[in-house]
Amino acid sequence: MERRKRVKTEGGNQNNKNNNNNNYRYTGAGGGVGMEENTLAILDTSSSASFHHLLDDRLAFLEAVRSASLVPENATPPTKKMLEAVFQILKDEDSLNLIMASYQLLSELNKRHPRVCLPKKEKSEASSPSKVLYELIVVEEAWSPFGFSENDEFTSTSSGGSISPSDFHSLIEDIAKRSSERRCKTIETKSLRNMLLFQYLVNVLEGDLVPRIHAFKETLNWILLRECILSKILGSRKVSYKDLVKDCLSIMGDLSHDEPQFTHDQGTNGTFSVVLQKDCHAALELALPEVKKSACIALKKLLQMIMELDSSRNTADKSGLITRADGARLPAAEIILNELAYDSDLLFSFFLLFDEPVWKLKAIIQYFQKYIPKSSVRTRRSNGSSNDATFDGILKCLSNENSAKGIIKKMRPDVLQLLLAHAFQAFLSLSSKHSVEGASDCMQEVEGSSLKEICENIVSAFARLRKEDKQCTILPFSREALFMAATILSNEVTGACS
Amino acid sequence: MADIDDHMDFEFEEPFKFSPAITKKKKKVIGLDDLLADYYEEKSKVVERESKRAKYKKQRCDSDDDLDVQDARQAKKFHEQVDEFQKDMGQISSDDDTLSWGLQVFGKQETLPPVLLEIDSCELLQSFQNHELNSLVELETEKGETFLEGLLTNGWLLKLAFILGQVENSVATWTFNLMLYSSKDVLSRSACDFWCGILLHKYEANHSSIKLKWVPSHSELKRALEVYGFQLDSPFKLSSDVDMVPTDSDSPGPPHNIRYWIKFVSVCFQVRSRWQILSSPEAEDLTYVIVTLFLDRVMLGLSVVLYECLVAATSYFKDDEWQASCHQIAKTLALRLPTDVNCLRIVESISGVDVRSKHLRSAVAFQFLVRCFDAKVLDAEEILRLLISINVKDKNCDLFKMYIYLNLAENWLLFDLLLKDKPVIREMWGLCLRNCSCQITSTDLRSFASKVRCKATYLLQGTSSK
Repeated sequence: MERRKRVKTEGGNQNNKNNNNNNYRYTGAGGGVGMEENTLAILDTSSSASFHHLLDDRLAFLEAVRSASLVPENATPPTKKMLEAVFQILKDEDSLNLIMASYQLLSELNKRHPRVCLPKKEKSEASSPSKVLYELIVVEEAWSPFGFSENDEFTSTSSGGSISPSDFHSLIEDIAKRSSERRCKTIETKSLRNMLLFQYLVNVLEGDLVPRIHAFKETLNWILLRECILSKILGSRKVSYKDLVKDCLSIMGDLSHDEPQFTHDQGTNGTFSVVLQKDCHAALELALPEVKKSACIALKKLLQMIMELDSSRNTADKSGLITRADGARLPAAEIILNELAYDSDLLFSFFLLFDEPVWKLKAIIQYFQKYIPKSSVRTRRSNGSSNDATFDGILKCLSNENSAKGIIKKMRPDVLQLLLAHAFQAFLSLSSKHSVEGASDCMQEVEGSSLKEICENIVSAFARLRKEDKQCTILPFSREALFMAATILSNEVTGACS
Repeated sequence: MADIDDHMDFEFEEPFKFSPAITKKKKKVIGLDDLLADYYEEKSKVVERESKRAKYKKQRCDSDDDLDVQDARQAKKFHEQVDEFQKDMGQISSDDDTLSWGLQVFGKQETLPPVLLEIDSCELLQSFQNHELNSLVELETEKGETFLEGLLTNGWLLKLAFILGQVENSVATWTFNLMLYSSKDVLSRSACDFWCGILLHKYEANHSSIKLKWVPSHSELKRALEVYGFQLDSPFKLSSDVDMVPTDSDSPGPPHNIRYWIKFVSVCFQVRSRWQILSSPEAEDLTYVIVTLFLDRVMLGLSVVLYECLVAATSYFKDDEWQASCHQIAKTLALRLPTDVNCLRIVESISGVDVRSKHLRSAVAFQFLVRCFDAKVLDAEEILRLLISINVKDKNCDLFKMYIYLNLAENWLLFDLLLKDKPVIREMWGLCLRNCSCQITSTDLRSFASKVRCKATYLLQGTSSK
């Protein structure tokens, strides 16, 4: 299928603007250029002014960009220089006010003026062939916080304040370092800023990837995905992809721990700059848990996107679209599961956070398949997947005395328990969602097993565990799972009576 | 600093002679802003220099024993000048102070009430006691609350509610109170997720939503605000100072639970059709609260959450209610809050991205203007006439107020889609802007003179280009 790329009309304007940039001295007060000059001038004058003027000017600049590019109904996106200046503020400022304002502005701009998008569906068009609908619109000229040059190779040093793949990785490393450090030390603006920056970048990656995935599913055009920013980052020679995934996991573990309340530490005031005293560190204290939570969500999003990319790649591979140029990459799920196998704390917090039920169940089933004896009886299904590829199949294996013994010998008991309980949790989410979303989202892993059966099998699987290993203690999380299963079962009984 | 001092000494060689060295540093399409800014900068330098020089002379005069009459007269003149310059300088430096917004929206916080679960009336736990499976789970009544906390934080409780289709009274109140009053973040966070999940959950058409034996109400939300120390439920009192009060003393509000309060309110706005938690006047009241929260610098880091909540708030109202409710919200804000730089912060925190928030932003700005003039008039032309009648050349004209008026009027007119294009209004607004940009000279040293001038010039460009 041929590659479709169309430049949006707005993109055309943008292009013109960029051309105009070179000879703006000539154009005078022409639309976009005049705006760029005027708004950037707000920043320019402040070189020697006092601190407060700097702060005021920057806020005024952000407000000016906002009212030019977000408020009018047919607003044009800001020019590259303007966006660069806004991004610079998010990256470098120490004032909470400026950090929040620039973050908010960038996120809104990202939503309002996406760089990649699918054409808007018109109601009347919905019935027409999908070819028209999945024509991807890429505004190549639009600014992106990620920096890379024409030949798909990122520039080695970050130029113009943009983020290179290695910058992205070191940002993640930095968050990982700080999140484990700060538990004893004082609150810092820098870590808040980094987490916001990370969130913004993940949102940009998402905005870039999601429409491409949609288009790929329709057209099977692999080039669309190969060109996405995320795949360029993962494929960059400057970044160790495996380390990146591992760092993501370690942040996840650190951030999801419940921290003790921050105490007002008077001694730390001295290190705070004037801004912070003004913005008051109570504000930071209030904001940090919130920002951390959203950083966790962004992290989850990032991992999910990598997995999504992996599975699309798999599809493309089956259709023979992958060439040697694409390089080889281990699927993220495998790296993650390998990491989790050695750390049950991490495993627990990972699956608690990684709560998207379909992915969660898939990952756990994949994990179990390594340990389920291959000799176990397989009932071939129409689509060729074996029985142990379903949650029910795994539970049945565990209820069976012989196969259970084999699994228990190979797996650590705590890991086994946690995985079972987490899979059960994912199953419950799916089964309560199931009635809403209809059959379309019904995945094979849940297929053919009722809630009642699964609850019964969970109970018998745990009973088997206990029987096989008398010493084994039932973990709190497993106790909760059992409580759930029992309550649901007894409810079904009383529900049937009434 | 030393460098600058040296520079100043050098300047003494030529007393009372300076040229406003306005040089274009860069070629710009429109250089007026730069010129003004350059000038402004120059001006403050000059004032500093002059006053320094005056002080120096003053010292010299004082030390001199045999002053003749002329010298005395000169000295007096210098004194006068010193005073004048110092006044000017005071005004210039006070620009910064008056421009930084911030109200202490939360005062002293009450001690958070303890959150207890009534285990005896909790059916969920009681019915499990005699269950055959309890040999595996080993649940004891005394540890019931801890166990339930586990169910809550690990996300089981919400799933159970979906599957059972109901939440019993004791669990509902317990989780709600955890959300608002628990000092453990993980508990209040999970409780908030639980409640938001329940309220947002959609069943198939033939099912009714989850049965709740207890539904929270507006009064519980207000009660929590009271506990947190919220103090803007009545007109703002100037006695509690505008600037940040050092908060190292006893517990200043709000506690971390305020995040969950905001999120919960945000969800309440979204589920109007399914759950009648808020009546429309109550929603107006909560919208007012949300807007005022933008004023407290302590809330700065939560601006994203607040912003989302305000979007939800404006979309709560039905189309036929919106007009009246918007008016009501704007009026309450204008009545209760001070008409200083804080009202600009209020106006700017309303995003203006969608139609309703544009509307609200315009209405709020208008109500503040009305309040500023203390006018009974509500007519647009009347207000503009008042604005035009202000003589900015008058020495006693309060330019700081003028700056506030200009900003308010800008927001009022720009965000009102109907008013913006009315020819009469446009003309009057243009006149008002020309007054400010032309009648204030670039050498005007009054505080805010250049700010008003810059603003007016910038806005004038916008109106003429359209």
